Amino acid sequence: MNTGQIISGAGHLALMGWALFGGAFQSEPLPFQVTEVTAISAEEFAALSNAPNNPEAVANVDTPEPPAEGEGVPELSATEDATPEMSQPEASETPPADTVPEPQEPPAPLPEAEVSDAPPVLTPPEEDVAALVPEVSPRPQPRPAPRVAPEPVAQPDPDVEIDEVDQQETTPDAEAAETVKEDTRETAREEATTEIVTEAEENDLASAAPTRSPRPRTRPETPATEAEPTQDAPAPSEPETDENAVNNALAEALGQGQAQTGGTDQGAPSGPPLTAGEKDALRVAVQNCWNVGSLSSEALRTTVVVSVTMSEDSRPVTSSIEMLSASGGSGSAAKQAYEAARRAIIRCGASGFNLPKDKYDHWRDIEMTFNPERMRIK
Amino acid sequence: MKHYVMTLLAALMLWTLPAVAQNGPLRLELTEGVIEPMPFAVPEFVADDAAGAEMGRRIAQVVAADLTGTGLFREIPQDAFISRVTSFSSPVQFADWKAINAQALVTGAVTLDSTGKLVVRFRLYDVFAGQELGDGLQLVGTQDGWRRIAHKVADQVYSRITGEAPYFDSRVVFVSETGPKDQRAKRLAIMDYDGANVSYLTGSSSIVLAPRFSPSGDRILYTSYESGFPRIYVMNVGSAQRRALEQQEGSMSFAPRFAPDGRTVVYSMTRGGNTDLYSMDINSGAGTRLTTAPSIETAPSFSPDGRRIVFESDRSGNQQLYVMPANGGEAQRISFGQGRYGTPVWSPRGDLIAFTKQSKGRFHIGVMRVDGSEERLLTASFLEEGPTWSPNGRVIMFTRETQGAQGSASLYSVDITGRNLREVPTDTGASDPSWSPLQD
Amino acid sequence: MNYLSKTILLCAGMALAACSNPDRFADGSGGAGGMNNGVGAGMAGSAQDPASPVYFQQTVGDRVLFAVDQSTLSAEAQATLDGQAQWLMTNSDYSAVIEGHADEQGTREYNLALGARRANSVHEYLVSRGVADNRLKVVSYGKERPIELCADEACYSKNRRAVTVISAVPSS
Repeated sequence: MNTGQIISGAGHLALMGWALFGGAFQSEPLPFQVTEVTAISAEEFAALSNAPNNPEAVANVDTPEPPAEGEGVPELSATEDATPEMSQPEASETPPADTVPEPQEPPAPLPEAEVSDAPPVLTPPEEDVAALVPEVSPRPQPRPAPRVAPEPVAQPDPDVEIDEVDQQETTPDAEAAETVKEDTRETAREEATTEIVTEAEENDLASAAPTRSPRPRTRPETPATEAEPTQDAPAPSEPETDENAVNNALAEALGQGQAQTGGTDQGAPSGPPLTAGEKDALRVAVQNCWNVGSLSSEALRTTVVVSVTMSEDSRPVTSSIEMLSASGGSGSAAKQAYEAARRAIIRCGASGFNLPKDKYDHWRDIEMTFNPERMRIK
Repeated sequence: MKHYVMTLLAALMLWTLPAVAQNGPLRLELTEGVIEPMPFAVPEFVADDAAGAEMGRRIAQVVAADLTGTGLFREIPQDAFISRVTSFSSPVQFADWKAINAQALVTGAVTLDSTGKLVVRFRLYDVFAGQELGDGLQLVGTQDGWRRIAHKVADQVYSRITGEAPYFDSRVVFVSETGPKDQRAKRLAIMDYDGANVSYLTGSSSIVLAPRFSPSGDRILYTSYESGFPRIYVMNVGSAQRRALEQQEGSMSFAPRFAPDGRTVVYSMTRGGNTDLYSMDINSGAGTRLTTAPSIETAPSFSPDGRRIVFESDRSGNQQLYVMPANGGEAQRISFGQGRYGTPVWSPRGDLIAFTKQSKGRFHIGVMRVDGSEERLLTASFLEEGPTWSPNGRVIMFTRETQGAQGSASLYSVDITGRNLREVPTDTGASDPSWSPLQD
Repeated sequence: MNYLSKTILLCAGMALAACSNPDRFADGSGGAGGMNNGVGAGMAGSAQDPASPVYFQQTVGDRVLFAVDQSTLSAEAQATLDGQAQWLMTNSDYSAVIEGHADEQGTREYNLALGARRANSVHEYLVSRGVADNRLKVVSYGKERPIELCADEACYSKNRRAVTVISAVPSS
């Protein structure tokens, strides 16, 4: 063998090895995404004059030993790049200023003039103007509380357990034996304020300026809204409409006994539709767990429509929850908005919603639109 | 005939959609949620040995502190836990975590690899949905760097739940202050965003002011009286090597800020009592004058796209905010409230400008949109100034100073909603914070 | 740059370095405080010697005060500066650094610029009274070096000042 062959052989071997192992490594599904973090210690830092020890240096993938676990192993992912997904939010809309009245139309831009010593003649209304307001704010001053909810809740007794709903002690639900809670300790909702109270506003008491314009409190939908707002949805919900024919036909197709069996073969009762009050109670119950406090500003601009199927004991079927649509934000914002909505349904439904059993058919499938628009300006 | 078709259609509907009742789904619109910290649990990260267990405990603490510190989350104390996590790989007992209302659960494991490197794995669960949020992740680093690893874990958790970009793995350069007000010693210092790992970058023999990070976080611009006169220096963060920037004879220069390109510096220069804005190529020293008014122009800040500069000027008679093109030219006034506005800082998201406002003898930190609309004041006190943005534009850090002979300065942070005002712990007095970008 | 001005610069630098040394009040000079102490302490002469910097500081008056946000010189300030100009003309071997200061009721960088305006007002006035431009330097400390610490106008008014600091012994 001459030298050339040796070199050639070695080269080929190396190449094959590289192809084999390099390739094999690439295609090996990695159970983990891996990042290497290199950090600088305080001691290293103290030795500042030493070699430029750049703490930002980030090496890449360390060979991961795949953790040998059974279930719960995350989706296999060959991506080695563990850089956090930085969904750069689009310019977000900030909540309108509550503290400051409508800013005046900015006057004509000041010319870059060499000398414009004269102050612009404008008398912008500002919160200072409001100092003429009576010394004592006529409205109850919102006190800062860690929780912001539609209704203010006074600070509960210290020995009362915090729960999602106010609950009287010893109220065994006479009717529904199966839903009687084993535990009827007295609970109360957590202390809450209706608005975010910033320090700047708290201190305004001193200046007797109103902290904000008294925005009208939002009210529950009026009972008149019992008719579903579904002009765009082709759901056959209104017997007065054309679908009437379908319903009649349905009745016919199924024979006379259909009405009693609830229209399906599941034998569920189907009473009259839910009253406005019943629907409202459900809406309020879910809202009480709908925590938008941990959402990004972009997710707070995202409305999601979520569908859920309920079991007969009025609990949501977790696996049935899905997002039907989202509008207003990016895909990732919609994901977080949906997850918050999902948590609301599951958490507040964990012990069953208060829904009339005889109307199961009317609430077995629910579509909830979570529109956080009003929450942005809290 | 029509009747027959309808019957057929109806039968078909019943057959294909057995789950849909004849009335369709119940539809609700929810518009009033609640805003409250989300309860979460971070059990100590599991480990094979005692040393690892100590590390696992500390990492879990830092993760929990990061999340709690946002004000968006609330930690459930360990002693409330029903289940213990003893193995990273065994399935999570969701019922046990639901029972204590833990809505998010972070589990993790700590090991050392053969080279002595710290290997941290974690998973995030949505407890009530009984699902993992995102994939499990493994991070490797030096043992000394365990805090950074913990911050990276917390960044992932924060980001996956809120949808905001992360910010915990970041640093803050600031001025450390000691001594009484009339003979205060000032040193440049750098620390983790949460106040840990403080290092000093300068001695205390000269006054130093208002440091600012470069866009990549590798350098710092600041003003020092080293020469006896205010002058701008640039320092390499890694080596602490510094050099003075070009300065015209007989002038004072201060308020330096990097442009997003990392090469251009805008700053204030005072000549003959008049302070204007200039820009300079940091390498060549070639400069351009940006403003020519006889008034004070200072405290510039670039928009994230580098095309505009917001600054303060008293050309109208008192301090107000103006926006102009990055190469100078006509400036638009954007602040119109009563009082004085200074130290504008453009948000990294580009949508807001944070500022200091003085009104009726008090100072405020506030934010407004870049056209000056929707002004909101977030804080109020005797004296505060100098906001700086977290890398994700969600949090503002600033200086607050208490009054009187015993008064001292410290750093505070506040969420841009005005919630969650809290002091950033520092060993000495502290002022003029500048938040770094997220570290790699 | 000639030897003299180099010396002056060097001395100015030293004086200022002394001023920013946190220990400079360790001699317990009490309420007078300020940048001028470092100078007085290092200089020969007494208040009785009209040619001494101490005389300048204590008898002529080394500082003028300003109204809120202002850099214009009051009649009283002008009278003080007339005396300063006269002293500087007589003792032509000395040079001076004019320090501008602001009270704490303002943002840091703005106050730096405001202090510069005040120092410049003094500088221009002294030059108009015949003091050679090249004997004077200006520096602004903004709100970094108050002499009075209370949070009242009584203190603020004393902090809004420009101080003329004689910065070098005659180089003979």
